[in-house]
Amino acid sequence: MRPEDEQYFEGLEAQLDEAFDVAERAKARGGDPKPAVEIPVAKDMADRVENILGIDGVAERVRELEGQMSREEAALELAEDFAEGRVGDYETKAGKVEGAVRTAVALLTEGVVAAPIEGIDKVEILENDDGTEFVNVYYAGPIRSAGGTAQALSVLVADYTRALVGIEQYDARDEEVERYAEEIALYDKETGLQYTPKAKEAKFIAKHLPIMLDGEATGDEEVSGFRDLERVDTNSARGGMCLVLGEGIALKAPKIQRYTRNLDEVDWPWLQDLIDGNYYDDEGEPGDDESDGDGDEAETAESDADAEADDDSATDDSEGPPRVETSEKFLRDLIAGRPVFSHPCAHGGFRLRYGRARNHGFATAGVHPAAMHLVDDFLATGTQIKTERPGKAAGVVPVDSLEGPTVKLANGDVRRIDDPEDALEIRNGVEAILDLGEYLVNYGEFVENNHPLAPASYTYEWWVQDLEAAGADVQALEDDPRIDLEFPDPEDALEWAVEYDAPLHPEYTYLWHDISVDAFCTLADAVADGRLEGEIDGDATLVLEYTDPVREALETIVLEHRQRADENRIEIGDWRPFVRTLGCEVRRTAADGAALEPNEQTPTVELERTWSDDDLSSRARTWGHEAEGDNAIEAVTEVAPFRVRERAPTRIGNRMGRPEKSESRDLSPAVHTLFPIGEAGGTQRNVADAATHAETMSDTPGVVELQVGRQRCDSCGTETFKNRCPDCDERTTPDYRCPDCDQRLEPDEAGRVECDRCEREGTCVETREIDVHEEFRDALESVGERENAFEILKGVKGLSSQNKIPEPIEKGILRAKHDVSSFKDGTVRYDMTDLPVTSVRASELDVDVGQLQALGYEEDIHGEPLTHEDQLVELKVQDIVLSDGAAEHMLRTADFIDDLLEQYYGLEPYYEFEDRQELVGELVFGMAPHTSAATVGRVIGFTSAAVGYAHPYFHAAKRRNCDGDEDCVMLLLDGLLNFSKSFLPDQRGGKMDAPLVMSSRIDPSEIDDEAHNMDVVSQYPREFYLATREQADPEEVDVEIAEANLGTDLEYTGFDHTHDTTNIAMGPDLSAYKTLGSMMDKMDAQLELSRKLAAVDETDVAERVIEYHFLPDLIGNLRAFSRQETRCLDCGEKFRRMPLTGDCRECGGRVNLTVHKGSVNKYMQTAIQVAEEYDCRDYTKQRLEVLERSLESIFENDKNKQSGIEDFM
Amino acid sequence: MPLEAPARIVSELTSRGYNAEREAVTRLAAADDPTAALERVLETVPEDALVVRTDHVRRALSTDGTDGPAGSESGPDAGSGDESPSADVPPSVSTGTSAASGRESAERAPVETEGSPTANRSADPTQRSLEIVGDMTGQSTGTGEYSDFVSVFRDRLDRLGAKLRGRVNHRPATAIQDMPGGSEVAMVGLVNDIRSTASGHWLIELEDATGTFPWLVMKDREYVDLVDELLCDEVLAMEGTLADDSGIAFVDSMHFPDVPRTHEPSTADRHVQAALISDVHVGSQEFMTDAWNAFADWLHTPEAQHVEYLLLAGDMVEGVGVYPDQDEELDIVDIYEQYEAFSEHLKKIPGDIEVVMIPGNHDAVRLAEPQPGFDEELREIMSAHDPQIVSNPSMVTLEGVSVLMYHGVSLDEVIAELPEAKASYDDPHKAMYHLLKKRHVAPQFGGHTRLAPEEKDYLIIDEVPDIFHTGHVHKLGFGKYHDVLAINSGCWQAQTDFQKSVNIDPDAGFAPIVDLDTLDVTVQKFS
Repeated sequence: MRPEDEQYFEGLEAQLDEAFDVAERAKARGGDPKPAVEIPVAKDMADRVENILGIDGVAERVRELEGQMSREEAALELAEDFAEGRVGDYETKAGKVEGAVRTAVALLTEGVVAAPIEGIDKVEILENDDGTEFVNVYYAGPIRSAGGTAQALSVLVADYTRALVGIEQYDARDEEVERYAEEIALYDKETGLQYTPKAKEAKFIAKHLPIMLDGEATGDEEVSGFRDLERVDTNSARGGMCLVLGEGIALKAPKIQRYTRNLDEVDWPWLQDLIDGNYYDDEGEPGDDESDGDGDEAETAESDADAEADDDSATDDSEGPPRVETSEKFLRDLIAGRPVFSHPCAHGGFRLRYGRARNHGFATAGVHPAAMHLVDDFLATGTQIKTERPGKAAGVVPVDSLEGPTVKLANGDVRRIDDPEDALEIRNGVEAILDLGEYLVNYGEFVENNHPLAPASYTYEWWVQDLEAAGADVQALEDDPRIDLEFPDPEDALEWAVEYDAPLHPEYTYLWHDISVDAFCTLADAVADGRLEGEIDGDATLVLEYTDPVREALETIVLEHRQRADENRIEIGDWRPFVRTLGCEVRRTAADGAALEPNEQTPTVELERTWSDDDLSSRARTWGHEAEGDNAIEAVTEVAPFRVRERAPTRIGNRMGRPEKSESRDLSPAVHTLFPIGEAGGTQRNVADAATHAETMSDTPGVVELQVGRQRCDSCGTETFKNRCPDCDERTTPDYRCPDCDQRLEPDEAGRVECDRCEREGTCVETREIDVHEEFRDALESVGERENAFEILKGVKGLSSQNKIPEPIEKGILRAKHDVSSFKDGTVRYDMTDLPVTSVRASELDVDVGQLQALGYEEDIHGEPLTHEDQLVELKVQDIVLSDGAAEHMLRTADFIDDLLEQYYGLEPYYEFEDRQELVGELVFGMAPHTSAATVGRVIGFTSAAVGYAHPYFHAAKRRNCDGDEDCVMLLLDGLLNFSKSFLPDQRGGKMDAPLVMSSRIDPSEIDDEAHNMDVVSQYPREFYLATREQADPEEVDVEIAEANLGTDLEYTGFDHTHDTTNIAMGPDLSAYKTLGSMMDKMDAQLELSRKLAAVDETDVAERVIEYHFLPDLIGNLRAFSRQETRCLDCGEKFRRMPLTGDCRECGGRVNLTVHKGSVNKYMQTAIQVAEEYDCRDYTKQRLEVLERSLESIFENDKNKQSGIEDFM
Repeated sequence: MPLEAPARIVSELTSRGYNAEREAVTRLAAADDPTAALERVLETVPEDALVVRTDHVRRALSTDGTDGPAGSESGPDAGSGDESPSADVPPSVSTGTSAASGRESAERAPVETEGSPTANRSADPTQRSLEIVGDMTGQSTGTGEYSDFVSVFRDRLDRLGAKLRGRVNHRPATAIQDMPGGSEVAMVGLVNDIRSTASGHWLIELEDATGTFPWLVMKDREYVDLVDELLCDEVLAMEGTLADDSGIAFVDSMHFPDVPRTHEPSTADRHVQAALISDVHVGSQEFMTDAWNAFADWLHTPEAQHVEYLLLAGDMVEGVGVYPDQDEELDIVDIYEQYEAFSEHLKKIPGDIEVVMIPGNHDAVRLAEPQPGFDEELREIMSAHDPQIVSNPSMVTLEGVSVLMYHGVSLDEVIAELPEAKASYDDPHKAMYHLLKKRHVAPQFGGHTRLAPEEKDYLIIDEVPDIFHTGHVHKLGFGKYHDVLAINSGCWQAQTDFQKSVNIDPDAGFAPIVDLDTLDVTVQKFS
């Protein structure tokens, strides 16, 4: 580590310590569940693992092993320790296995996610049919967050420990094997798996697994075949088990095999068969028709999955341009209101450009801000898109060093728009978006997704290396002030192409590969028939006759021009490179031929086509990808006087996924205090209402019967529900009693409370009457606030934590005063979509150079001293940029904390902020869903984009990438003061998303290794671009990625980028999806946009919206209607079926349906209209017709539907 | 010209848009030159005729003079009813193949040109009778309001409760609470909830129009076995002893509406048969055209001469949008073309057979039950055979024999909820017994079966039918419950990929034939 990095981390930790001290002092005074801060600081992964598991000694052992071996090997080593009792204090064999498995999962997930505690329910020992014992591991849903590798290895570790402690293998019964297969299919249907093993494969795995995988039911749907099995508790799908078997074992078999080979104790020879797909023969019935049939299917499925991997081999075999295979996957489950931007590989869609912008990488896609505006603002910074390749989804970032979109305006102009301002100006006149411009994807993305490189667009950074390779002195050209190498004049571009025999500059290379050879010949003819207007050596314009084929061809090759249909002409400005590429020459004919015209003094200029159709070789004529002759690039090669590369061979289809997010995290309804008030607060859960509520006239207002934990004061014996004795102000302890014999119980060392006599678990929860009115008044008085300090103070209906300890109402009062609300763990949170950034400018962060310098930023990325706001500095790994909304929210939280310290804890205020500039340099927690560890971050500035920009390592430390994921920030002192484990719900997943531990510094080798695949160079080599044409494996190409610097002094620095962007918050601040009002408005806008985009087939969009959104909605609601529950409007009681009394059986109130006609048929007419307007298939229309009639039949009375004349006779 | 199978004549006729009476076909087949005879007949049939009748053939052929014997009908009692076909192929054997029966009849055709075998079917239409009860087509008055649902369940309690109130000394739920502990009590109500208690007993909540009352079934009582059969929302009566605090009653006996053991089925006065089929699934890639044609051919043979009624219990076509991506597995994607194709297949059935059909869950009507019969547009498409199209469920009385037709969606639920020994896909008729016992075709609300609320509960089995006919599960099974014949007909759709994946092996290509005079069943196999 470099000294400056050390200094940085020490600075952070000093600041953290300071806040810690304040929090500790406060906690010691207040009435919190614990008198100390409840988030332990973990300096490294070993600490986190131990803290999350709560098993002593793990951290030390992990540190010992860490230097010597990989984490996976360390997990196996620890399994031995557990088996032999060196680590953990377990007496039973089951306990040892459990400890080893949990530790393995924690280790493999870097001690960040909740999977080891939430995803593994228990381990138990069961009996085989022959009487021997086997191990059964109970998985739960949250195991998902561990990822496939950790899931698979948990099974291996379980087996290894099993062998070491001397338990036999699991011998699955036939019906259990069948059950696995059925259940996995059911789970896939219900929830979906990343990889779903075919029935044969699942059965093969189930039959051979040496331990039993079991788990909790996670869905409502039940298996139909293999039910009520003796050793399987449930008939529903066990989600955790399905994940482990499918995404774990089946998908990660090769990874597990690496470790089984080195272990003598475990023997999984069947893994090889699994990897090879040999399990069909293994069944010993090769002649069986059925198994053959299935085998074929499986092979087809596999080859589907590998289709992309096979691209290169496919293109090797057949002559034609290198192209990727289209993939329609991203279009699945299209939702109304979220538009498609480009169909798979469609002409006019986004063009793949390679590179990494400074706000890019780590599952993001760079789009030109002008394009973001032109797609009617549907794309904003941080909007998620589902994409065709290389990954599945990406977060959108604005990059204005790309080429912008090309549009056709109502006046006939075809223009490329490279300026977002222009885009806004001309947006209303856009008739069609002919091309969406470039789409930046970094090399690391292909590495991470193990996707073969797709042929690169021909861009400046490639061309300039081509030029150099051709022998030009690029340095000299760059230094020449008269030459703009990136955006040259056409004359210069042509000169270089001819002089150096380098390919034509990309600026003047058009998309010849998108037109057919025929269209190419048509264009050449049109040019030969065209004329030049104006000074030939000056600003002459090429004028062509207006015909549809010519117009279409020009639009397809994306050449700027003007269409004037009524004047029968098409005008082209920069015509020279175009004309030359078409193989046409400018001929000046001498005036003497026209001697009859005396005033004709200048020579006439003619355009001559130097070749005829027959000159083209058959190769050029038949060159194509989908059809023979659909690609004119070879024709260009033959007729143009210079080399021309394919401008955009790869187009990337995508559609909108989730909109970006930047909003406070509120429970619904929002909660200010975790104090229970039952039903007394009404649906609003208003504490003030509860304080005056009385069930009947005889009840005392404000006295509510509630379930809370009983606490006892050890010094005076008072029973209370508070953490401090109301009589003597001493701290109280939970008063556990046996529910049977009411014996007072003390928790044992492990924290379990059990009555020895009755063998029942003790509890401190009791139902008691609480005077909410008194509590509320006392709290107001204690913090010196009046009821008008806030609009409403919302409590909770009941507490879901184990001991049901309420939070002091005082905290809620102050939260309400500052209009912030609490999450289930007592913290105030703000959610933002994650985006990466590696270098920033002070100017775009709304801070000045002085502020940056104060944070330790002294040099810009080029090593120059930092002196002005526009210099780029490299972001430090734990520094984050807040969205405007987040900053505002943090300010309010800071005010709340200050009041809390002053008015509740009786301490000095800590933050005392006047404006948001003072937030710069403050510490926050970053915390992602499904994880249990917070990461400390420092505020560096602000952005108007509705996202959380931070270093990719910071996101990776939270185990997020940036493909549309979102997570939250908390103000440091809020977390330290208000978080308590005692508030966490006592249910599956309750410990997820809670800061059980915090990391004070990021160790790059302990974060999600996806971030290591990000490239960190300023230029990709020419070989890279050439390799993309071969669709090479990304690993074969030499581009430096972050991984290279791991463990070196440079691991925190050197994140170079290839593309700059003016501001990280360009384009719309919010996606239109969020600004448009109703679903109908969104859908109308979506369909309207689909009509404008050349790359989108609007009928297909309409079809998919109906198929995936409207029809499921209609069908689902109709089904729900005819088997619905009912609910009492007055007391909320639910009834499975309508009560025969008609009224509520509980309160006599009015009962009504939960699914009404209105919610069933709300989309019916719209869907029919869309189907009609966008010319959907008859099949779709008929499905709607049948449904419409069903609705009529259910909701209309046959007898008074028509009032025909016969009704009156 | 070699012997002409009636099948070819029929298909020729249908291809030209005609349906045909069986005797007409027989006569044509018996002609010296059936092809020429056919042409002559078609020249002479009236313009507006859709069905080629025996008359037409007789007239055409007699004017020609080539077909002498066909002068007039010989007596219907000519004794030819028990001639060779029944001797060759015993009706109870279900192995006769279509090809065989087709050929047999063809070979025998000349012998039968006397016309006598057909007489039994069409000679005396006045002997036939067909009445429909409970068709709610066009009677759907529910508008999907809460009150509509309440009415349905109240009607259920009233009408099924009436069958029980005479048997026990019942009291309303609210009155029971006020009775002294230890009293003998009884109550009639809908099952509202079934729970097992921590100690393994069963707590069953009964609900009537006044409220609910909990009944405890002790795990060691002999009738505890019945608890397994209970479905929510069925109507039953319980008798028992009130606990000391009157908060619960201990069950001593349970009574179901049931079919009385004394039930004696009605039978037809003459030997006449009905074919009970369902689940044709025209439009599916798995629709068994050959089996269907074999069935149609068979109906034209003397062996089938007594079959005068054809009942179709739903799923005429495969439908559209029944499951995701269904279009990829459809042979005919257009729903109207599916019904047109079905109509063509129906035309192959002899025109003098009375057809009654109800919709199923694949048909283009609402899925919620009761399902009204097809709308005008679909009726128009299927008009050629002039079938009776009624709602699901409906009661059809054929010459005094009442047949309750119900598609059978609730069978899935009965099979899923009840223990395998009591109801399974292998014995679908046993699942039907439970519905008869509960006197309701789809008791449980809120689960698999969908309910459309109407002013009354059309799903109640008000009158005990003589025959209960369902389909849906694609399995063949029949048996008698308290002398009610329960038949689940198989299907005409071969195993689908989905069925393969869940290991269902359908009984495809069977036609159960019921003798309406004896209620005996024979099964004809056509696949």
